[in-house]
Amino acid sequence: MGLAIPNSKLCMWLFLGTEIMFFTAFIGSYLVLRMGSPGWPSDPADTHIVLWAGGLNTFVLILSSYFVVVAHEAMTESNYRKAWTFLARTLALSVVFLGIKGYEYWGKFDHDILPGHVAESEDQAASKLEHELIVARESFLNDLVPLHDVSVKQREGWVGNLDSFSAAIAAEGDDSQKETMQSIFDALKSRTDDLAAFQTFSTAVTTYRDSLRKGEVELYAHAAESVEGEHGEAGHHNYGEKVQTVLDAARTESVAGFSGGVHDPHPMVYGNVFASCYFIMTGFHAIHVLVGMILFSIVLLQGSRLDGRWVDFVENSGLYWHFVDLVWIFLFPLIYIVQF
Amino acid sequence: MTDSHETHHHPPYGFIFVLLIGFTLLSCVADIMRDALPSALALAVVVLAISVMKATCVMLYFMHLKFERAWKYILLAPTTILAIGLPLALLPDVGVHYYDIDVPQNPINAHAFDGSDIGSGGGGAEAAH
Repeated sequence: MGLAIPNSKLCMWLFLGTEIMFFTAFIGSYLVLRMGSPGWPSDPADTHIVLWAGGLNTFVLILSSYFVVVAHEAMTESNYRKAWTFLARTLALSVVFLGIKGYEYWGKFDHDILPGHVAESEDQAASKLEHELIVARESFLNDLVPLHDVSVKQREGWVGNLDSFSAAIAAEGDDSQKETMQSIFDALKSRTDDLAAFQTFSTAVTTYRDSLRKGEVELYAHAAESVEGEHGEAGHHNYGEKVQTVLDAARTESVAGFSGGVHDPHPMVYGNVFASCYFIMTGFHAIHVLVGMILFSIVLLQGSRLDGRWVDFVENSGLYWHFVDLVWIFLFPLIYIVQF
Repeated sequence: MTDSHETHHHPPYGFIFVLLIGFTLLSCVADIMRDALPSALALAVVVLAISVMKATCVMLYFMHLKFERAWKYILLAPTTILAIGLPLALLPDVGVHYYDIDVPQNPINAHAFDGSDIGSGGGGAEAAH
């Protein structure tokens, strides 16, 4: 009685059955959400999706799948050395895959295309810019006066008026704290350019924040063009005057080291749900790649001890790996190519 | 023991590999030539059809389903049906609407109404009707 296949293989197929449902839930939900969201971000200029990276990763996974079947075939022919070699190549390719995926993720983090971080309207983009500017200003302030137990407001006052800083040092009762403050004070006196740059930047941020509170900030110079024309030229945004002024202040040489987190504001409708879908699908796929790497590593660690007892293990690991390839075969066009 | 590897000639793995790479290149070519296609939907249909062909090749030859017995249908049919069930269940209310969706953050929608509509806490769909 029973099926004419090894129990381990039956278990692997049952597991793959659950995996089919698992990934179809993600991919199906993504498709449905996308269909129901007119204006879904699909322009690579918005999403920073890199076609060549996705295409290259597809090639890498297909080649690795081919290596796995060659390895399994070698196992059935008792050519264990050849099997080991091809599994090692598969493992190397999986590292390449994750490397390319890491490069893509770095792009997403660099442009802050993360769930919950994407501004979806011009107002949200203007507010997000305010938040990023305040963080940059605090970062600059922390460099000038690295006293984290003192409030930001107080330190800003000291930087704006060194005499008040001097008075605060004189009034400080803790000798250790007094010594630290004095050394910071002495260092500040020789950083006149930085102090001036901070004042200029801080004033620009405050002016922007006040304008935002009064509803005077327009993200784009010509609102009518912003819907379609913001990507007319790669990397070019026709920002409103107040936005451009504060961005210029953040990009000056003295401030640039602290304003890396200040992004060019860029509203993207459905950007957050896009980011969620992107990371959940590619993230779980990457986790599956990691599991595959562990499976292959277990075989590779056998070294010269690899023998016929491992045939089923290699076959089942191969089935798993082909499934990982199969998922990517659908993720590639759905994430990287399809735009509607 | 299994009938999967002993009783058949081994599949043309090299040929399948070349075929898969060819299909991938075809997807990239379709993407590059997207302007030549009649619509974005046509591009989606083309690249997804290519994906289905690639998946079929992987399943039939790399995963040996072509050479397995009927158990494959018993095992895979229920999971496939259940897998398709979720997207189908979501489709009517999330993916396909007979009504307009109120998306206040969408500038395309926002421009369709005057300021009072936008500030009134939604109701764009009602306004449209």
